[in-house]
Amino acid sequence: MTAQASERPQLAPARAAAAAAGVLRWRSVSAIWWRHVLALARVWKVAITWFAVEPVIVLMAVALGIGQLVGEVEGHGSYAVFVAPGIVVGTAMFHALFECSWSAFQRIQQSIYETILTAPVTVAEIVLAELAFAITRALISTLAVGGFAAMFGWIPWLALPALLLVAVGVGLVFGGIGLLFAALSPTVHALSLVFTLVATPLFFFSGAFFPIDVLPDWIEPVAWVAPLTPLVHLGRGFVVGVFDTSHALSAAYVVVLAGVLFPLAVTLLRRRLLK
Amino acid sequence: MAEIEAHDLVKCFGSLRAVDGVSFAVAAGETYGLLGPNGAGKTSTMRMLAGLSPVTSGSLRVAGLDVTRHGRAVRACLGVVTQSDGLDDELTVRQNLEVFAYLLGLSRRQSRQRAGEVLEFFGLTSRAADDVADLSGGMRRRLAIARALVGQPRVVVLDEPSTGLDPESRIRVWEELAILKQAGVTLLMSTHYMDEAEILCDRLAIMHSGRILDEGTPPELVKRHAGSAAADIRPLHASRDDVRRALTASGQPFREVGALFRVTGRYGRPPELPALEGCQVNHRAANLEDVFLSLAGRGLGE
Repeated sequence: MTAQASERPQLAPARAAAAAAGVLRWRSVSAIWWRHVLALARVWKVAITWFAVEPVIVLMAVALGIGQLVGEVEGHGSYAVFVAPGIVVGTAMFHALFECSWSAFQRIQQSIYETILTAPVTVAEIVLAELAFAITRALISTLAVGGFAAMFGWIPWLALPALLLVAVGVGLVFGGIGLLFAALSPTVHALSLVFTLVATPLFFFSGAFFPIDVLPDWIEPVAWVAPLTPLVHLGRGFVVGVFDTSHALSAAYVVVLAGVLFPLAVTLLRRRLLK
Repeated sequence: MAEIEAHDLVKCFGSLRAVDGVSFAVAAGETYGLLGPNGAGKTSTMRMLAGLSPVTSGSLRVAGLDVTRHGRAVRACLGVVTQSDGLDDELTVRQNLEVFAYLLGLSRRQSRQRAGEVLEFFGLTSRAADDVADLSGGMRRRLAIARALVGQPRVVVLDEPSTGLDPESRIRVWEELAILKQAGVTLLMSTHYMDEAEILCDRLAIMHSGRILDEGTPPELVKRHAGSAAADIRPLHASRDDVRRALTASGQPFREVGALFRVTGRYGRPPELPALEGCQVNHRAANLEDVFLSLAGRGLGE
């Protein structure tokens, strides 16, 4: 601590200058992301079950169990081949959503963001870091579940890099949605709505388990607007290797969603944190 | 130039004026205290300084920079200890410091080194690998202070640094803050403890209902509001009513505090006590608590 007086003059002006330059400070984002990696690494034994064990059980049950009853899906071959990209993308959604709703809510409640904001950090940078980590979790999950499906031959190995691209979209969209819930929920009970209202219905009605066109006519448009649908559609496009305009529209929709959710999340989180 | 400068600072929450036109200046290297009961506006003032709460009106500057327009630059030279400590329970003691140093812009290597230095200074090295949740209250507070110092700030803001700590931990925190002061750091702290304010602060502002009632060094405030001497009267055999009557008749300002009658003098003179039988009388120097009680008589209620 004797170094306090001697070192300060060199450090502070350099940091102040860095802080003044640029609207977004990259170090804020990378430091918060690193914090999340450290926190996740500390619970890695449990985390392995989230990333690998649980989705693998779901994948096997659905592909091998239900798949035996369903038989072939038109244009896709076996049910396992149809359902695998849906489960890969759906699992990534759970990761992004959980990270940015539940974990972010905890960080609000435990004043962790408050502490972060006493450093030269802005709320926009916190949101970017959260989205970056949501993407990270979506990528890890996609690699784990996608790799497992590829081992069984349900997904071609070559489709895996493309599915990682989809995971980025999943992270941006569902990270954003998660942050909206975290910012708006007054209590943990309110927060649980993100799972009953968003995660579960989307998981089952976004074309992951059955083609959307088998749904009744009135529900079909709703299913197409649901934010997981375009991502499952894109994921399946990459797996099957067939594309049409619907995939271009899906990609555009994902970009629009991400573009709308980011500023909205920043605004709501700022309102929550800076009173 | 003052290191911290507030001018006609206002913070409103809806119709509540939590900070209602506060002005003060803290010189470089000075320790300045905001003293007052809960709800006086101390925390709101400090949160505006730390960039955690937008300023409603008025101006607030740190190191010559306006906190609203140059918030990021201000926070780069500020160390903040909030009331909640804000420690990260998902990380170890050491990681709390390292991550924060990295967040401030130090390299990974510098962050590691700086975390080590600060742990050493606060005597927390042996707990470095522990979960934050396993620390005692005193250690948690000291870790929060350590975290605020990781970036070698020019100005440190502490919201009630010793609230909730046992006597030993309080003294330890005070010693550490004294070392910081010696190193030339400017400290702004809030407290509702008179002893803490008297021990740590060069100057004080006494706050109530969002306003500063008076400002000065602790001896100045004592002299102005409580005079040189005071007396505590403890009725032993006498009835409280008799003592109250006698004191009222004597015209000396007094307050009943628990089992005691605390009497201060008038016009800066020692109290002139009436003859009291069956009482234990303790003449003593006036202190900040008397100031507080004296101001309480003029509307500084609970």
